[in-house]
Amino acid sequence: MSGPSDKKKRALALALLILPLVAFVVSLGIGTYPVSPRALVWVLTHPGASAPPEGVSPAVRDVIFKIRLPRLILGLAVGAALSISGAALQALFKNPLVNEYILGISSGSAVGAALSLVFLGRGFPPQVASFVFAVIAVGAVLLISGKAETHSISLLLTGIIVTAFFSALLSLIEFFASPYVLQALFFWLMGSLSLASWKDLYISVPLIALGLVFLVMLRWRFNVLSMSEEEAKSLGVNVRREKILVIAAATLVTSAATSVVGIIGWLGFIVPHLVRLMFGADNRRVVPLSAALGASVVIIADDLIRGLSSFEIPIGIFTSIIGIPVFILLLKKARKVWL
Amino acid sequence: MNIRVRNLAFAYEDFSLRVGELRFEAARVTSIVGPNGAGKTTFLKCLGGILPVPRNCVFVDGRDFATLKGREKARLLGYVPQEHDSAFNYQVMDFVLMGRASYISPFALPSREDARAAEEALDFVGLGRYGARAISELSSGERRLALIARSLAQESAILLMDEPTTFLDPRHETELLNLVRKLAREKQKTIVVTLHGLEMAVQYSDEMVFMKGGEVVASGPPGDIFKEPLLESVYGMKIRIFDFEGRKIIIR
Repeated sequence: MSGPSDKKKRALALALLILPLVAFVVSLGIGTYPVSPRALVWVLTHPGASAPPEGVSPAVRDVIFKIRLPRLILGLAVGAALSISGAALQALFKNPLVNEYILGISSGSAVGAALSLVFLGRGFPPQVASFVFAVIAVGAVLLISGKAETHSISLLLTGIIVTAFFSALLSLIEFFASPYVLQALFFWLMGSLSLASWKDLYISVPLIALGLVFLVMLRWRFNVLSMSEEEAKSLGVNVRREKILVIAAATLVTSAATSVVGIIGWLGFIVPHLVRLMFGADNRRVVPLSAALGASVVIIADDLIRGLSSFEIPIGIFTSIIGIPVFILLLKKARKVWL
Repeated sequence: MNIRVRNLAFAYEDFSLRVGELRFEAARVTSIVGPNGAGKTTFLKCLGGILPVPRNCVFVDGRDFATLKGREKARLLGYVPQEHDSAFNYQVMDFVLMGRASYISPFALPSREDARAAEEALDFVGLGRYGARAISELSSGERRLALIARSLAQESAILLMDEPTTFLDPRHETELLNLVRKLAREKQKTIVVTLHGLEMAVQYSDEMVFMKGGEVVASGPPGDIFKEPLLESVYGMKIRIFDFEGRKIIIR
């Protein structure tokens, strides 16, 4: 069964798994403030306070540790989080059109984080309210679509309605927010990594890591969960319990990401499709590789943003504008059905 | 392994199923026949624990099936649905591997042993060379075989099949029923299968169960019960049975 194409795929999969690491290291050197490879190596090998060698500016250390490192770590975490929840939810709902945005998780998180910012201030971690409201949103979608949740149309319709409701709530919050808060809110909502700080990381990154490990470990199980409920049941799966656990994990990672970078649309939709296009439907590959590709895409997109312009285009806008045409191109090019 | 049914009752909104006493024995093929809406599939799903049946109704080797965990049920009993329809196009081998789910922890991957069981199952149904193909590339007959292979990979002593021959041409229908019989004879499986084609059902069944309006109207070896008056009352139409070279031909 392992023909040459299988070997090629395995090599490609391995390369894709390493890609985030490579992109991460290269990205440390990219930005408005030029950092030479020599300076980069020196900073990374001398994290202490020793004086820099000749030709390396003392500012380099601050640029790397205070600005780029948190930004890149957050980028990796967010990209992996959104893409893996997309892959997991698509399998769970047996529906390639589903993702965390369609199910209301993203807008629920955004409302929670916005409320937290307005009422509890910057000092309070937004992740708490973000998770709570994300659970409310996805819970509402599942309750309203009810037994019919396996019928894709009713699930999608309910998702759209609940998302619209939470978007309206968000507009309401913006309407009443003070101009100062509004600006921060506005920029954050469009999906931006530029506000990344270590403080955000300390809470969101461990939460995302936790959810990621859980979902990656379940990767083969997603194959079984993607069967009809009757089939999965007859194969010995406690569908209800596992479904709740998976939704909880996807909600956790999505809200942890959204609460600090805002809504990055399309990523959780496009990335799993790209991976399936390359590797087929088996979730043993789709789930971990979606995380790897999503993480890489976000920090590469962020590099492009920083490299191409002196002002910061929010990454949410950027991923949509670049991602959708790329996706359409691939769709047209791929003759074979991969769904 | 045998299944024993005792006073099973199950109701939908406008349909109710009532089965008094019934036994399904190992190494035998039992077919459930009857008109559309007679409750064949509902009965099969109740036997398989896919529909929630109350306690003390269905016993597998003396154990109350309703009290078992999903994983335990799947190891005892495999259910082959009528059709498989998925949004995702898995490879045949990956599809059959799913039959091993009850042996694999949710957080683990299939082992070599699981892969071997899946390969054996594929070989048994004659799809051994198709492992690397996509499910969508299979014909509908081959897809039925893949579904059966998935249940075989489950290594359960009991197999329930819901209308496995619907939409198959005569040759594939015959091949599939030969396979079903082979499973009973060679692997000693307890097989319960719902069928529409009466002639094939008579030819391939060791036992038959006739259903109508949610109730069992007759059960037993075909030689004893397959008679014109029964068929006419079950299907509500004139039916003649002729013997031809030891086979039953039905004229209606």
